[in-house]
Amino acid sequence: MEEELLRLQSEAKTELSTIIRPDELESFRVKYLGRKCTLTMLMRKLGEVSAQDRPRLGNLANSIKKEIEADFLEKEMALTQLQATGKGESRKDLTLPGRVIPFGRRHPVSQVMLEICRIFEGLGFAVAEGSDVETDYYNFEALNIPKHHPARDMHDTFYFDESVLLRTHTSPMQIRAMEKQEPPLRIIAPGKVYRCDSDITHTPMFHQVEGFLVDRHVSFADLKGVLSIFIAKMFDSNVAIRFRPSFFPFTEPSAEVDIACVICDGKGCRVCKQTGWIEILGAGLIDPEVFRMVGYDSEKFSGFAFGIGAERIAMLKYGINDIRLYYENDMRFLSQF
Amino acid sequence: MKCTLSWLRNYIECDLPTAKLVQGLVMAGLEVDSCQELFEYLNDSVRIVRIKSVRPHPQADRLVLCDVDAGGERVLRIVCGAPNARPGLLTVLALPGTSLPNGVIIKQSKIRGEISEGMLCSEKDLGISENNAGIIDLPDSYAVGEPLVDALDLHDTLLEVDITPNRPDCASVIGIAREIAGFAGKKLRVPVAQNLPALTGQNLPFSVAVDSAACPRYSARLLNDVTIAPSPWWLKKILLAVGLRPINNVVDITNFVMLEFGQPLHAFDFDRLAGAGIIVRQARPLEKINTLDGVARQLDPEMLVICDHEKPVAVAGIMGGSSSEVTASTKRILLESAYFDPVSIRRTVRKLNMSTDSSYRFERGVDPEGIPKALERAVQLIVELTGAKLVDDGIDLIQGLPEKKVIKLRVQRVSDLLGINISAEEIERLLLGIEIIARQIDELTFEVVPPTFRVDLEREIDLIEEIARLKGYNELPSTLPVTPMSFPENCPVRSLRDKIAATMVALGFYEAINYSFVSDHNVDLLGLAVQDKRRQQLRLKNPLAEDQNVMRTTLLPALLENVRRNINHQTSDLQLFEVGKVFLPQGGELPEEDERLTVVMCGRRYPGAPVLHYSANAVVDIHDIRGVVETILLQQACAGVIFDTDSVDEQLGEAGESVVLRANGRMLGGYGLVARNILKNFGIKQDVYFIDLSISLLSLIPPEPKTFRPLSRYPSVTWDVALVVPEAIKCGELLQAVHEAKEVLFEKVELFDIYQGNNIDKGTKSVALSITYRSADHTLEDDEVEITHKKIINLLISRFQGKLREV
Ligand SMILES: [Zn+2]
Repeated sequence: MEEELLRLQSEAKTELSTIIRPDELESFRVKYLGRKCTLTMLMRKLGEVSAQDRPRLGNLANSIKKEIEADFLEKEMALTQLQATGKGESRKDLTLPGRVIPFGRRHPVSQVMLEICRIFEGLGFAVAEGSDVETDYYNFEALNIPKHHPARDMHDTFYFDESVLLRTHTSPMQIRAMEKQEPPLRIIAPGKVYRCDSDITHTPMFHQVEGFLVDRHVSFADLKGVLSIFIAKMFDSNVAIRFRPSFFPFTEPSAEVDIACVICDGKGCRVCKQTGWIEILGAGLIDPEVFRMVGYDSEKFSGFAFGIGAERIAMLKYGINDIRLYYENDMRFLSQF
Repeated sequence: MKCTLSWLRNYIECDLPTAKLVQGLVMAGLEVDSCQELFEYLNDSVRIVRIKSVRPHPQADRLVLCDVDAGGERVLRIVCGAPNARPGLLTVLALPGTSLPNGVIIKQSKIRGEISEGMLCSEKDLGISENNAGIIDLPDSYAVGEPLVDALDLHDTLLEVDITPNRPDCASVIGIAREIAGFAGKKLRVPVAQNLPALTGQNLPFSVAVDSAACPRYSARLLNDVTIAPSPWWLKKILLAVGLRPINNVVDITNFVMLEFGQPLHAFDFDRLAGAGIIVRQARPLEKINTLDGVARQLDPEMLVICDHEKPVAVAGIMGGSSSEVTASTKRILLESAYFDPVSIRRTVRKLNMSTDSSYRFERGVDPEGIPKALERAVQLIVELTGAKLVDDGIDLIQGLPEKKVIKLRVQRVSDLLGINISAEEIERLLLGIEIIARQIDELTFEVVPPTFRVDLEREIDLIEEIARLKGYNELPSTLPVTPMSFPENCPVRSLRDKIAATMVALGFYEAINYSFVSDHNVDLLGLAVQDKRRQQLRLKNPLAEDQNVMRTTLLPALLENVRRNINHQTSDLQLFEVGKVFLPQGGELPEEDERLTVVMCGRRYPGAPVLHYSANAVVDIHDIRGVVETILLQQACAGVIFDTDSVDEQLGEAGESVVLRANGRMLGGYGLVARNILKNFGIKQDVYFIDLSISLLSLIPPEPKTFRPLSRYPSVTWDVALVVPEAIKCGELLQAVHEAKEVLFEKVELFDIYQGNNIDKGTKSVALSITYRSADHTLEDDEVEITHKKIINLLISRFQGKLREV
């Protein structure tokens, strides 16, 4: 009897020491501490031994049971701790990639167009879209660019016939909107525009946002204010801006707006042609001749207009160096933005 | 317009550093395209030398050995191959260490065994001109040993100024100098020819008749005893610097004065003018001329020509004819300076497709009063440089010049439009800086007669722009407009487009943007039927390329091209969409512009998702693309869109694997598997699924209103049923029938299995449905569910010839 008890004790010790998983621990508990375990069976047999040995063996059995229980609890604690610190065998690999269904992306040019529109919509501008195929009248004549004007050289135009063409700018929307309603009006017109020109800096199709505001007492200073807000929101509120005189037949005074080169911080680089400045948009007060074409009284109303090229802004924002990449739709390109 | 700083300094004393000068020009509206130091690479190591003796090279017939005096103590030995190397020649030597513009660095070297201590140079070697006929041959006035850059005064800065179409006055060096004078506060000095006899038109050995309104001013002088020769170095240097090839003294002078004053001139060989006279008139039908560029030109009566008494001798204001060209043997010169109507010149330029430095200026408008000034300046230079004798008197015919405008300028208007408070004094002072005289007629009004060279100043607003420009745009304040609030209406197509795009992005699609113009051949690659309206394509008159010659009538071809391109770059799991217009001629002046969504999908499901979690072999199929369609419609709450699964209208899809979408009796578009023959035509070897949908039409369908349904507080019960139905039954219709039964307790139905095979009769299939029931006001009892459930099952059995599947 004594031998059996001692053997059981040493067996339990050995077995417990090899246990590493919680399920093994459970079978150990059943085997050595459960209701039908060997130790319990042996203790039930105590009644069969001599009364002289009974107290001693009883004490021995009890102390062995307590010892196994203590060892078991200790082991259980150790295992729990092991699991908590993540060193157990059944631990999850937390470095595996997540189970996602990936998002797609808008085209970088669309993202920029949306951003431009969002800024002006915040200033209360309505969005109007015109047709890509336009008449000579709306694209040129009504914008003070008559047939034999040298300013037509600034627009390499795609034609369908004498009077129908692909718009070279989104400015025709100025005319179409002003024909339809009286001032005040505050509109931006985003869209595709086309020029018969293709090289490393020009694609024959590109995106523009035209904007204009007409009311009483609108001044050049107002134009500067609105465009300064736009630039601060689009780029960085600290970026330096400069307005310089230029020429557009449908605005006067006309301006081109430069920002300090975002690539070199105004120090001069290849992108800004060493000038430290990058042209980002054209603007001006709407020419009285344009008002005359739509029947507005230029003594009563004044207004400003501007045109922003989206591709150029996307190039600056993202550092894209080849404009042709925009329309190849290579996934390696589209997935970057 | 190109000019050098040293040239500008002839007319204005300006000590501004170059960077400040450039900035001043830019801020005055004269954009400086480039600013470049000339001859930076030439330094002290290129010197004027004299050849002392020339001996044959012992090893090479074409080379000689020159002893050269370079001003030092020692005579240098140079090997030279130039035919004009001769004793006594004053020429130019590049010493070792010089880098030439072609990239060569001169070293002391052995040439065929003989030491050469440098290189004797031609003008081309040094980048001075294209002349490579021999080494430079200098007149004796230069000193041996002097660095060439100093001797020829080569160091200079070249500016290239971008002239806007409204400023022809700045297509001249004097015009640019005037602007500098304006912002630098300096005085402009314009060269004026002195002591020339007046142009009275009396007793002339030649005649001029003008017979066209397109020539309101024509002046001319005759010069005898001209000696045609190369120009002096100062003149050549200026022309070379701005990129003009020196020709001879007379032609160079006319070019020089054109660049100086902005007034193009033309010199005729007087002895080659028939009848010793000039007639300015419109060309006659079928008349021809051989122009100086060697091209025979066909003229027409819209074109203005300069004629002698027999034939046209110049296309007025554009280019001279070769019959009266100034040549080396020319003795007498008739020099022309005129004003030609800008529109007339421009028409002719476009018709003849011939633009010149001269036509550029005439079509923008030259200074009507500058015509005799430029003539006299050139006459004086010709007399000085060629030894010519001016024939007393000359002619200056004026008829119908543009009237001088008087412009009223209101001080208040200037302040209002610029958003400033400007004084009359300041306006007057600013304008005077660029020679615009403003005469104050009362406290708040000026009268301005713009100078004749400023053809762009016609209206008050033109003067206001000048004031803004002179004040400096950056000095003007920045304010915000005060405009009444209004609600900006958005256009429905735009809103829908952006919503759909957002849905597509959420579904894992990337947006593509393709050109609106495509190849007219695309509709053939799509195999569209003859009557398909997408075959009616709007054709560009002047496409850049043959594969961009029509406006697109469908977005699919370009997207398939994108797919092919990406597959070529090893990306074959693709989900792309484009939202854009197609252009459909509709009889009117402008085409219908239909905004569409087109989607392509191919390869692995969820591209870009970890393969570990999603099988790499699971490729998209028809159900994936339908899922996208359903999501779009659900997102827009578009009810009533019919999925027509039997139609053949959608020609882009593979038969039996494509669906047409209709609403309100119109075809919205379709989706499915791109027809395999189309894929083959586009060189794509894998299946591609597509959606093509009209956003314009979709935007016309009002979205379903959203109405709240109360939430039941009672539990639901879900019962399953398996029906065996004929194979041909469409499960979608089966599900629809369950919905349409409109049972009160019915909540939803889920199709969870379709089975064919063991235990199921051939020609039939088992469809397993899970139907959920719920009541709004009590907990359901089994027997009431059973009644409803049976009703639905019986309906399905009778409608679809089904029976319950025995388990
Ligand atoms: Zn830069």
